[in-house]
Amino acid sequence: MKTKLTEIFIDDDNRFELLQELLLEKDREKLQTLNDEIGVQITALVKERNKEYLKQNPLKVNTVPKESLKQEITYLLDPVLEVLYPTIGKMIKKSIIKEITKLNAPSHRPIKEINRKLLKNKSIEPTLAPVPQVMNSSEIEEIFIIEKDSGLLKGSYSRIPIVNKDMLSGMLTAIKSFVEDAFFKKGQNLEYIQFETFQISIHNFKTIYIAITTSGSSNPIFNTKVSNAFEGLADIILKNPNLLENEIQLNELLERIFLGITS
Amino acid sequence: MIAKKVLLVGNFGVGKTSLINRFVFNEFSKAYISTIGVRVSSKVIFEGDSEVNLLIWDVAGVNGDEKIPSAYFLGASAALYVFDLTREETYKNIKEQIASLLEVSGLKKIFVVGNKKDLLTTEELEAVINVIAIPIDLLTSAKEDENVTKIFERLALFALN
Repeated sequence: MKTKLTEIFIDDDNRFELLQELLLEKDREKLQTLNDEIGVQITALVKERNKEYLKQNPLKVNTVPKESLKQEITYLLDPVLEVLYPTIGKMIKKSIIKEITKLNAPSHRPIKEINRKLLKNKSIEPTLAPVPQVMNSSEIEEIFIIEKDSGLLKGSYSRIPIVNKDMLSGMLTAIKSFVEDAFFKKGQNLEYIQFETFQISIHNFKTIYIAITTSGSSNPIFNTKVSNAFEGLADIILKNPNLLENEIQLNELLERIFLGITS
Repeated sequence: MIAKKVLLVGNFGVGKTSLINRFVFNEFSKAYISTIGVRVSSKVIFEGDSEVNLLIWDVAGVNGDEKIPSAYFLGASAALYVFDLTREETYKNIKEQIASLLEVSGLKKIFVVGNKKDLLTTEELEAVINVIAIPIDLLTSAKEDENVTKIFERLALFALN
C-alpha cells in the first residue's frame, strides 16, 4: 500500500515538471538570449579595455619577453664567441693577405709605394697608420732536402729551430706518397701544399725532392728571389752530388743561399 | 750519423704502435696513423761505433686485402712483421704476407716477431710457434718491455749492413 502512495507522489512530481517545462519554455528562451547578449557585450568590453591598456603601457607588456631574450643572448654570447673567434680571426687574416696579394700583383702599386704616398699626403690625419708591412712580408721558414723514396732528410735550413726535422721529413714524404698514390696518377708529383698563410712548394728531382716552406702573402719579388736562389742551389747540387752525403756542408750551403731572403 | 728507414707492418691490433711507443718517446700524435695510414717516429741508437738515426715507419694495420700505398715500402733498409700471438688470424697467412712484403720492399729479409707473449703460458707459446709456417725472430711483449729494444737493435744492425 505504501509503495503505491510513493509511486503516486513520483507521478505527481513528474507531472509538475512536465507542466513547468511547457509553461516556462518562452521564459527560458528569453533567458538564453539575454545570456548570449551579455556574453558578446562582455567580450567586446574586455577587448576594448585590453586595447586601451596596451596603448597606455606598451613597454610594460613587451619588456618581459625582450628582457628574457636579452638575458639569454648575454648568457650565450661568451661560449658562442669562444667558438667563433678563432675562425673569424683566421678568416680576417686570410682575407687581408688575399687582398694584399692582389695589391702586390704587377697591375697594382706595391704597398710600400702606397704607404709612401699616404705619409706624404698632408691632408691625411697623422694618426692614420700605414698599411702594415708585417702582413705583407714573406719569409722562408724551412727548406728540406729529402731522399725521395725513404723520406730521409739530407739537409735542411730552418728560420726558427724545429723539434724533429727527421720526423717532419718522414711525414711529409708519407703525405706526398699518400696523395700521389690515392689519385692513381703515376709519374705525377705533389708540388704544392697550402695551409693558412704557409705554403710548401715541392720541387721533384730523380732521387731527391726539395720542399720550401714560406709564410706570408705570395709576392712576385719574393718569389723571384726564392726561385733564383733555388736555381742556384739546384745547380750546385747537380754539379756536386756528393754534397747530398754531407749533411753539415749541405746545411751550411742552404743557410748561405737562403738566409735573409725576404720580401 | 747514419739515417735508416725501417718499417713496421702487420695486421690491425697486433701491437706495432705499442712496440714503437715502448722504444721511442718522441713520436707524433696517433691521429696521423688513422688519417694517412702511416706514422713516422725517429730514434737515435748506437750500434757498435755507429750512431744510427732510425726513421721508424709505423704502417697502419689492415684487415684482409686492404691497399697500403706501395710507396710506403720504398727505400726501407729493414722491416719488421709483427703478429699477435693470441690471434690466429694475424699469423694464418704469414708466409704469403712475408713473400708479398719481400717483393714490394725489395728487401732480402723481413724480421718476424710475435707480440703479446705476456698473455700466454709457455705451453701455449710453444703450441703457437709450432703452428707458424716460418721462423720467428723474437717473441716480444710491449706491455712488459720484453725484447723490444733487442728487436730494434737487430733491425738497426741489419739496416747498417
